[in-house]
Amino acid sequence: MLKFNRRTFLRGTAGAGSVFFAAPWSGALAQSTDTIKIGIIIPLTGATSQFGATMSAAAKMAVNDVNTAGGINGRKIEVLIEDDQSSPEAAVRAAHKLIDVDKVVSIGGSYASAVTSAIAPLCYDSKITLFTSSGADSITKTPHNGYIFRTSPTVTLQGTRVGKYALELGAKKMFFLGPQTPFAQSYIDIISKLFKDVGGQGSGLIYEDKRASYRTEVDQALRTDPDVIVLGGYVPDTSVVLKDLYRAGYTGKKVGFSFGVNQAIADGLPHEVSEGIVSLVPSASVDSDAYKTLIGKLKLASLDSYSCQVYDHVVLSSLALARAGSSTDGTAVRDNVRAISQDDKGEKVTDVAKALKLLSEKKVIDYDGASGPLTFAPNGDVEGVFFRYEQVQDGKMTLIKVA
Amino acid sequence: MLTEITQYVLNGLVLGALIALPALGLSLIFSVQGFVNFSVAAQMTVGAYAAWLAGTYVGWSPYPMLLFAFVISGALGVICDRLALAPIRRQSGGQTALMLAVVSIALNLALENALRFIFGNSLNNFDMPIVRNFRLQGLSVGPQQIRNLVTALVITVALAAFFSLTRWGKAMRAVSDNPDLARLKGIDPRRLSNLATFLGMGLAGVGGSLLAIDTSVDPSTGSRLILIIFAASVVGGLTSLYGAVLGALFVGVAGEVALIWISPVYQSLTAFIAILIVLLVKPTGLFAGASGAKR
Repeated sequence: MLKFNRRTFLRGTAGAGSVFFAAPWSGALAQSTDTIKIGIIIPLTGATSQFGATMSAAAKMAVNDVNTAGGINGRKIEVLIEDDQSSPEAAVRAAHKLIDVDKVVSIGGSYASAVTSAIAPLCYDSKITLFTSSGADSITKTPHNGYIFRTSPTVTLQGTRVGKYALELGAKKMFFLGPQTPFAQSYIDIISKLFKDVGGQGSGLIYEDKRASYRTEVDQALRTDPDVIVLGGYVPDTSVVLKDLYRAGYTGKKVGFSFGVNQAIADGLPHEVSEGIVSLVPSASVDSDAYKTLIGKLKLASLDSYSCQVYDHVVLSSLALARAGSSTDGTAVRDNVRAISQDDKGEKVTDVAKALKLLSEKKVIDYDGASGPLTFAPNGDVEGVFFRYEQVQDGKMTLIKVA
Repeated sequence: MLTEITQYVLNGLVLGALIALPALGLSLIFSVQGFVNFSVAAQMTVGAYAAWLAGTYVGWSPYPMLLFAFVISGALGVICDRLALAPIRRQSGGQTALMLAVVSIALNLALENALRFIFGNSLNNFDMPIVRNFRLQGLSVGPQQIRNLVTALVITVALAAFFSLTRWGKAMRAVSDNPDLARLKGIDPRRLSNLATFLGMGLAGVGGSLLAIDTSVDPSTGSRLILIIFAASVVGGLTSLYGAVLGALFVGVAGEVALIWISPVYQSLTAFIAILIVLLVKPTGLFAGASGAKR
């Protein structure tokens, strides 16, 4: 028997009424307040996570800056930060979620080359713009149809700089020690060639990360009697390699890259082990207003280039969409990035709020970010990058030169 | 060539000594409780952090530091076992051993991330002087590594004495040999399983500390090595204590000597090929039957 009393009646009426009244409203609200979602895939845990926390803070600061300035054509932005756990598998899961479930317009961060190589095809196949801070040359050689923008210098450029610096130091025999990464063999080839071109010698060895000891690898390296060792690893394996090099009595020169030799390693090793290693660090645009404003807002004394790049990834997506107007998808981001970041006729601007205001007035702008001038070659690689050469001295990273 | 091989064997023994203690812990827990407790990896890291805190902030010398690591990892191991694993053990289903192993993997992740939450991701170095290797007949030998090897061997011998000479040790061997018969004889399996967990996790903690003294402490210190530790245990037969130590030394030496022929990138492969061959040729493990707690 159907029970029909006062309570069910009221409940039913209220329910039906709320659907009736709410339905058109929610539709109307969705038009104007639906947020634009930007995905960020960064290493918060694992071997490459040294910059994870500041990358995350930088991404949130970019959202804050865009939304405080009124958002993109009236719509707020939102970043969805996913941890890639320094692992390509986890990154692919995160990218699938961001693209298929959250419907992001672009993905930024993407730090380790192995991670970026894994998620890049997902992005360009789904017509989502990928901003990456990885170095492996192969990434922009994919058939990405312009959907990839790289804000970090390539491996070829970094390898060439490290090789030339080692030659400047007077070294004749180079040995490269690094873990299996998409760029390890390129480093060996590039740097060895530089040495061989001037009559020196160069060789290398690719090891496995996650090992408790690299004694045998170090023994093999030292058998070639090198006078400079190039360290191509990330922090955890590099710290073990450095200890084993010290134990084995190696006293020659050591040069590394910023993802392996940085303050984290200087803090994590006894001074006698870390003393004198030189690190090549892609430099943030430290003299620019964008950089100074960013570190001021984050209340930091300085900020690494990679975190600045993540900030710029969010800003580039936002400004591109602001210029695109009504269309808000990955293709709109792709098609408008160069128009807002490298138009010679545009007004130079380093402040997000000002850039958004100029765009709303239909003015042409040229945004220069905290990580650099953000000018991209046709293949998506960034141009005009500077490096800082830093040396570990008494447990502190000390600047030698910028070039 | 001979010097080269000798050097690699030596390096392998040093590496094997580092993984011997956690492998011993894994085998000890398996032989009494009957499942592979993968949270030994996180307990290694717990031990390493405990030793690092005691050494850096309290200024303890190495041996009290290792003892502290043993007690902390052991105690935390028992607490985690009672909270997370005991409830599952009580439901006696056909898949319990597998379920326990899976839950222990989850427990491992939880512990590792708790450490990451508390201490952050950075590397922490022990405040100990790092010593250069000395040269002997063309071979380079590290004093710290030799000390690790000796420490691991001394602990193994002490454990062997515990198992063959004391009441508790004999009771443990009885449980691992035949749990029902042991219960009929009045041995309380729950107290024994607590003791096995305490000892096993404590050993993992000491192993983790030795490893961290050699390298450095970060939240993944232990979990980086769990597969090779598991390999050592399997090669040793999973229930034999000497087997675990010999298995660790075997896996260590095989991995290093293989570098003469294969590229270092594929080094872990040797451990897995070792597991494969052992399981195909002698499924009970190379060293099963060597005395100790055995099934």
